Amino acid sequence: MPVDINTIDSLNIFEHLSRTELEELASLMSRIRVTEGEVITRQGDQAHSIFILLSGNFMVFFKEDRSYTLHNKGDIVGLSAAVLPFCYTGTAVALTDGVVLSIPGQELSRLIESNPALGGKIMEKINQIISARQPFVTGGC
Amino acid sequence: MYGLDAISAHNGWQLAALGTSIVFTGLIILSLAISQIHKVLEFWDKRHTYYQRIKKLVQRKHRSEAIVSDPVLPKNVKGSVRQFKLLVEQIGEPFPLPKLLDFSEKCGFPHSHSSVNDLLQAKLIVPDGKGYFLWNHEVEKNIKI
Repeated sequence: MPVDINTIDSLNIFEHLSRTELEELASLMSRIRVTEGEVITRQGDQAHSIFILLSGNFMVFFKEDRSYTLHNKGDIVGLSAAVLPFCYTGTAVALTDGVVLSIPGQELSRLIESNPALGGKIMEKINQIISARQPFVTGGC
Repeated sequence: MYGLDAISAHNGWQLAALGTSIVFTGLIILSLAISQIHKVLEFWDKRHTYYQRIKKLVQRKHRSEAIVSDPVLPKNVKGSVRQFKLLVEQIGEPFPLPKLLDFSEKCGFPHSHSSVNDLLQAKLIVPDGKGYFLWNHEVEKNIKI
C-alpha cells in the first residue's frame, strides 16, 4: 500500500527533511499490518527492512534476554538493515495489533548513495537511535 | 555619690555593655540583611520563572499520584494480574520480559502479549534501565481487583 507523505511528515524522526526528501523516502515505503505476537525481525536473520511504527506496541529482545519496548508512533525497529553487516541484532515482536511502515534496506542504501545530503541526515538520525539503544544490544547478530 | 562609684552602684557598666551588644547585634543583622539583598532582588526578577517551575513540580506530583492511585488497567487484565505476579515471583526480579511472555504462553494465558502490554502501560511492569523489568508493587497496591 503506497504511503501518504502527510503520514511521514508528522513523524518526529523526519522533521528535519524537506518536502522533496520526504517524497523520495515515501516512495520507498509500504504500509504493513501486524498482529499480536507476530515477529517482524528475528535475531541473526539477514536485515532486509527497517520498520517505522505507526501504531501498536512492540518488544525488541536480544541475547541474554535483555529487551526494551516501543509504544510510540515514529519509533524504529530493524535499523540493522542500514548498517553493516546487515543482520538483525534483535528480535522484534508485536505485543498488540498495529501498523508499521516498511523500508527495504537495499533501496534505502541506494537512496543514501544517490543523494548524499539526504543520506547524511538519515544516517545521523539512525546513528543517534543506535547509540541510545546500544546498552541493550548484547552479543551482536 | 558621684563618678565611677555611682555608675557601679546603679548597674551602669552592665547597662552600657547591654546597650553596646544590642547596637552591635542590630548592626550585624542589618549588614547580613544588606549582603543578601541581591538574592532577594534576583528572586524578584525571576519570580515568573520560579512560579512556573513550582507549578510544574506540583503538576508532576499530582500526575504521579494520579497514576499510582488510578492505574489504567483493562477489566480483562485485572484478573490476570495475580497470575502474572506469581510468574514474576517464580522467575525472580529483575526479570527478562521475553521469559515472562514465554512462561505465560506455556501456562496458556489468553492474549499473553497484549496482557503484558497492558501491564506495561499501567506501569505494573517497569523497566530497570538495564534491559530487564521489575514488578511495581506500589501500583499493585492501588489496583482495585
